[in-house]
Amino acid sequence: MSVSILSDAERKRIEGKRRRGKAFVAVTAVPVVLALLLVATLFFDVITDTVSWQIVEPSQTTASWSFSEGFAWGNTWENVVTKELEARGEDPAAVLNNPEERRRFKLRNRVELLWSLNGQPLRYVVSNSRDDTVDNIGVFEGFNNQEALLANLRDGQELRLNPWLDFAFLSKNASRSPLMAGIGFAFIGSLWVIGLVILFSLPIGVGAAIYLEEYAPDNRFTRFIELNIRNLAGVPSIVYGILGLYAFVRLFNFEVTVISAALTLSLLILPVVIIASREAIKAVPPSLREASYGLGASKWQTVSRVVLPNAVAGITTGMILAVARAIGETAPLLVVGAAGFIPRAPSGPLSEYTVMPIQIYAWVGENDPEFANVASAGIVVLLTVLLVLFGAAFYLRRRFERSW
Amino acid sequence: MQPTPKQAAEAIGINKSISRNVGDQLIRLVLFLAASVSVVTTIAVVYSLSAETISFFLDPAVSLWEFLTDRRWTPLFGESQRYFGISPLIIGTLNVTFVALVVGIPLGLGSAIYLSEFATARTRRTIMPLLEILAGIPTVVLGYFALFFVTPILRDIIPGLNLFNPISAGLVMGFMILPTISSISVDSMQAVPRAIREAAYGLGASRVEVVLKVVVPAALSGIVASFILAMSRAIGETMIVALAAGAKPTFTFDLRETIATMTSFIVQAAKGDQPAGSIGSRALYAVGSTLFLLTLMLNIASNQIVRRYAERYE
Amino acid sequence: MSQTVPENHVTVRTDPVAQEDALVAIDHLSLWYDQFQALRDVSLTVPKNQVTALIGASGCGKSTLLRSINRMNDLVPSVRVEGKIHYEGAELYDASVDAVEVRRRIGMVFQKPNPFPKTVYENVAFGPRLHGYKGNMDELVEKSLKGAALWDEVQDKLNQSGLGLSGGQQQRLCIARAMATEPDVILMDEPTSALDPIATDRIEQLIHEIKKDFTVIIVTHNMQQAGRVSDRTAFMHLGVLIEEGPTDQIFTNPQHEMTENYISGRFG
Repeated sequence: MSVSILSDAERKRIEGKRRRGKAFVAVTAVPVVLALLLVATLFFDVITDTVSWQIVEPSQTTASWSFSEGFAWGNTWENVVTKELEARGEDPAAVLNNPEERRRFKLRNRVELLWSLNGQPLRYVVSNSRDDTVDNIGVFEGFNNQEALLANLRDGQELRLNPWLDFAFLSKNASRSPLMAGIGFAFIGSLWVIGLVILFSLPIGVGAAIYLEEYAPDNRFTRFIELNIRNLAGVPSIVYGILGLYAFVRLFNFEVTVISAALTLSLLILPVVIIASREAIKAVPPSLREASYGLGASKWQTVSRVVLPNAVAGITTGMILAVARAIGETAPLLVVGAAGFIPRAPSGPLSEYTVMPIQIYAWVGENDPEFANVASAGIVVLLTVLLVLFGAAFYLRRRFERSW
Repeated sequence: MQPTPKQAAEAIGINKSISRNVGDQLIRLVLFLAASVSVVTTIAVVYSLSAETISFFLDPAVSLWEFLTDRRWTPLFGESQRYFGISPLIIGTLNVTFVALVVGIPLGLGSAIYLSEFATARTRRTIMPLLEILAGIPTVVLGYFALFFVTPILRDIIPGLNLFNPISAGLVMGFMILPTISSISVDSMQAVPRAIREAAYGLGASRVEVVLKVVVPAALSGIVASFILAMSRAIGETMIVALAAGAKPTFTFDLRETIATMTSFIVQAAKGDQPAGSIGSRALYAVGSTLFLLTLMLNIASNQIVRRYAERYE
Repeated sequence: MSQTVPENHVTVRTDPVAQEDALVAIDHLSLWYDQFQALRDVSLTVPKNQVTALIGASGCGKSTLLRSINRMNDLVPSVRVEGKIHYEGAELYDASVDAVEVRRRIGMVFQKPNPFPKTVYENVAFGPRLHGYKGNMDELVEKSLKGAALWDEVQDKLNQSGLGLSGGQQQRLCIARAMATEPDVILMDEPTSALDPIATDRIEQLIHEIKKDFTVIIVTHNMQQAGRVSDRTAFMHLGVLIEEGPTDQIFTNPQHEMTENYISGRFG
């Protein structure tokens, strides 16, 4: 039996306000839920796309082949196939040099990298257990229509669940046949490019950050540099590709090589590296610097022995996030000419290359519907790499978050 | 006469380690050069874009008037069918950007209000990293998702929707720019002083009224800056558009039509391997220049707004 | 001289407020921030249309007490309150009462002037708009600004930002803003601590003038100010209300030793 301090009308107003307020809070929570739902849907979609149903027909070749003893790690595809054909008593040249024969062989045989406990742990095995694919059906569609699909199978046909993302996918390389395609070269290419990106952008980025935080006088030129970095951070990534095309590919004549890609991406992430490193350096309390100067240390001694060790966690976090961005970048590399299909694994700064996102883009552009499954397998590999990096960055951030 | 501090220091021998000083100067120089890389980069961007763009306009086949007014863009075609009007690319870009902003602004602002004002600290700490993951998903992956997941669903709902269309690309792009809008807006709302919130509470404002009538208006410049930055990112975004919106320059405002954006044209021209110095290659630079200028203006505007707003509570 | 307050301290009351004059009656109020008890069993009756000053050393709980009267402390998540505040027959901490209703009737002026980053006009009109004021807004704004003795200075600047005014003007703007919602009570939390002596003087005069329309409760750590502006004074120490009574009594003839020590400047 409480007595109100307000008139009934006013009380009602406030009552209504409270109800509407609750509704409003709920409404603002909706975008957050939607965003999380989108991320979840995306992961779910990509992962389920890596599996599909296939209607297959047994291969017309009658020879049923059991696994060979395998071939050592480091052999090329051609190498393995040649030896395999020799072991089968066929003429390797006749198969490999005839495009038609070569294609047929590729459709019916897989070179897979297997893990074995006896003998050499990692070995290539050629299997001809793969059959001719007749149809490719999405994983849910296949589950829903399983009975109809099974009823419609013709003599000798079989309905199988094909996991595209298997161990072999990681070692297989570019191929025009979806069953043969893997992310091997692209993974190696990403490693080469990113390795060089770190080599270029880490020293320059951290150096620039040290200069701006510790050395730069407060003058016009310094402010100009700062403004520059801010603006560069907002330049669309594809514009860096145009710069790379003009400068590295054509002017310096590096052509379509690992180094052009690495230089382009280094310039792209440099602003991010500088900004993150500056934050980390700024977070080191001035009292530590004063203590160092108080002991008679020079500027550089203070920076290198006091400031940097205390900023290293923050710099590493920023670097990891920048690298994660570089790993996923596609557009600038398309402009500097990266191709989806290359004949050999990149082996140095001046070799031809492909990287994971470019490989994925190339697969999406293929006509065979199976390539969508291949692309999703590639995406899962790429996202896994990125999630590991994000995880490392978040761990570092939490672990070294200090309140001075 | 009083000795200067320097003289005094020399008198007692502090300043004698000259070699150390030279070393320090050298290090300073190296660090300065590292910082200058960004300036060199800017100069290189501007130079590479403008050199080829000027060549583009100097070509007898092209006129600035045609570039600005013609409604056809076919620079990669044969000589007799070539047209150089950039408007289809601009319109295409605006179509996608429009959809992205229609999706991204309410979602970004809504989530920012929730995260800054209503969520508990713990919820915020959990959700912010997840949004960062959304921001970190490579755009080629988002493009794949738009093309293979979103488009089929939309085509069931919207009659006459092309396989490649700006709605699907813009929708996914809206989620891509959500974290940008959200994180900048959260920062600017968190910067609104507690005293002002308390003043509103003291006048009998409810929590929602405090947010809508005090916090959001006070943080408005930061919020607007986040919209502009998001717009700039949407305009410059490439892979989602290249995969899901197509590469057919069309002067249309019908969002169901396949279009081309400035970025998707650049990809198309680059993939076509135009020989250096050809008109097709130069068209790529001309479009690149337009894109660069447009996004630069938006970024500068956004920075200006943020800076002005930052001074306000000092 | 002891600074700790015995557990069983009974507030010394001189010339208690008569039941019929009371507007706000704080009844055995205790308040905790997590484990820390900021108010210990405080009872205080505030008379209508008078100025009541809360004094005491920093951290004595006087601001906390003030902020619990319009339930501003509800905004702090870890706060727990026991006891009651009676207000015109209602109980402010009753589960059925919304803090928003309370603040509608009990306005507040803060330690630092905190005008909204809006125009002078919008600052004053903010509260009435919030509460769906139906009358002539221009008149209400003018009346409130006049009430806060600010009209003459700002009548030409109504559309300029409130942040452009001087500190003293800003604080009077905040008073006008509080008056515009036409509350019964205005709480003032050290309203002059951020101001210069001349601005302080104007605010003090203003407090004198507005008490015919409003009941004012003011927290101050400036004893001269309490002496100048208030009708009754309550002295708090370590979360306990030590003594309360008419201001001249408290200052000239304090009954409790602690009050006397504080008044004479021996601690605090």
